[in-house]
Amino acid sequence: MSDEVVYSPREMLACVASRLIKDGESVFVGTGLPLVGALLAQKTQAPQMMAIYEGGSIGAEPKVLPWSVADPLTLYKAPIILSMSSVFGHARCGYADIGFLGGAQIDMYGNMNATCIGPYDKPTVRLTGSGGANDISSLCDRLIFMGLHLPERFPEKCDYITSPGYLDGPGAREKAGLIGGGPWRVISHLGLMGFDDETKRMKLLSYHSGVTPEVIQQFTGFELLIDDDVAETPKPTEEELYTLRNLVDPNQCFCF
Amino acid sequence: MAHANDRIFDHDMAREWKLKKSRALLDKRMDLKDAVARYVEDGDAIIETGFAYARGPMAAFWEIGRQKKKNLVGMHTPGGLTSIFHEEGGMEGSHVAYVGVEMRGLIAPFRRGVEAGTLKVFAEWSHGAMALGLKAAEQGVNFVASKSMLGSDMVKNNPYIKIETDPWTGEPVCLVPAIYPDVAIFHVHHADKYGNSRIWGLSVNDQAIAAAARKVVVTCERIVDTDDIRSNSAQVIVPWYCVDAVCEVPYGAWPGDMPGMYYFDRRLQERVVRVEWKTPESTKAWVEQYIYGTRDHYEMIELAAKEEGMSVLDYVKQLEQFATSAAYYNLGSWGTGADRDWRYEEVAKRAI
Repeated sequence: MSDEVVYSPREMLACVASRLIKDGESVFVGTGLPLVGALLAQKTQAPQMMAIYEGGSIGAEPKVLPWSVADPLTLYKAPIILSMSSVFGHARCGYADIGFLGGAQIDMYGNMNATCIGPYDKPTVRLTGSGGANDISSLCDRLIFMGLHLPERFPEKCDYITSPGYLDGPGAREKAGLIGGGPWRVISHLGLMGFDDETKRMKLLSYHSGVTPEVIQQFTGFELLIDDDVAETPKPTEEELYTLRNLVDPNQCFCF
Repeated sequence: MAHANDRIFDHDMAREWKLKKSRALLDKRMDLKDAVARYVEDGDAIIETGFAYARGPMAAFWEIGRQKKKNLVGMHTPGGLTSIFHEEGGMEGSHVAYVGVEMRGLIAPFRRGVEAGTLKVFAEWSHGAMALGLKAAEQGVNFVASKSMLGSDMVKNNPYIKIETDPWTGEPVCLVPAIYPDVAIFHVHHADKYGNSRIWGLSVNDQAIAAAARKVVVTCERIVDTDDIRSNSAQVIVPWYCVDAVCEVPYGAWPGDMPGMYYFDRRLQERVVRVEWKTPESTKAWVEQYIYGTRDHYEMIELAAKEEGMSVLDYVKQLEQFATSAAYYNLGSWGTGADRDWRYEEVAKRAI
């Protein structure tokens, strides 16, 4: 046990997220945890990853973790900084492979909510509103969602659809006129999920060390499909953790 | 006069207004107090500029609070800070694309207002959709057909957009009308006295807003000679004929970030957002002390410095610690050396 690597749930999230990005891909990076996953990928296996931030910068090389999508660190070494309509325009043109988002809720069809908890007209909690989340999920080729895994954050149906996933099931995205492939992966501190090709419902692909599919089901507000090849998620490597702790988030802004 | 929500989407009114604006090279320098008094009117639709905490016109926002402007209509992209005065009667309602401070959390006064129904939400927008509406105004087209917003619940809560069929492809598209805010205030690195404004770093929607808005106030870190601007105009995002007033306000984006010059005061921002604005009572106390209780932006900075037990000069210097190096913006001597020393002297002088 003594030589076992020790890591926190947020560090696990960041490492799983970063591994989903292939070198050379372009990633439209949303605020929060996606900032960590994207920068870790850029500093490990995907040095040629092209980061697009809503603030307008493309291709930046942040020295350390930006605090937000318009933090000056997102401008560092950026060869170009576009206007907001242009960065989203470039995503529509086809220059954004992955949209990387956080949010308050995600449902079984991968719809996301950043607008309100409770009814819209009388909300229990009024949230921030879309920001770029709707545009990212409408215009990028495929989407990764990151968040903490709790039943109220993974409801059967979102209180409000801010960012469209598969809406109410197969064919709905196309019918609404949406482009792009829609939700692809969901990473939580408990597991890695994908979506069933036919039903478009969320499906568990792997569970993180220390939990089981049964435990993850208990923390999910709907019936989670389980992949036939479900297995344990590989743990963070020492190299990933070293990079995360020393080069990405040395001040432990996000990963604590 | 019509409600701001009618003016925002009125192409003809926006055009008539701009036909009457002077194209002459007039000296538009004035004090920020006068500019806000003259160009921000009760009931105006005010659009946010820069990226909220990055190159936002913070000094002007605080001055709007100080002058107790009433019933403004907020157009929150990508910020929402103008909403904080609604409990003082400062804001009637909002067009919401995003109101929050990202990882620092929600803006509590906005949240309270919407939950209690005392702050109206006129429409939900995505950042991209509002950006396109402003771009449509700048490009001189009535509307644009977008692939954002489709299938989302926001469509039900935005009476200004329409889902129609693209006559070429037969697919649904979201029609976003041109957006003409009543007033925009930009904070820029440099401006000449006529209003030509130059920035480094992110421009966000500002170039579109400059053409779209009826009234434009520029606050700048420093007023420079017009020849300096004309010899390097590539980074000019606001031309003189759009501008009504030019105010020299060094540290005008404080406590936010100014690319290449200074970084946000994270500690202050976090304390204000998470603690000071938490309840109506604490917000009122904060507004009384920081806004009504101060003469201007520089007394506010002085107050913040005092709370840190620092002199104003030491306080503003430490804000540079995390600022992205001026070298990366080709600022040349601007932002460093003599220019920085000038800024130090100004802030020390004005804080007294």
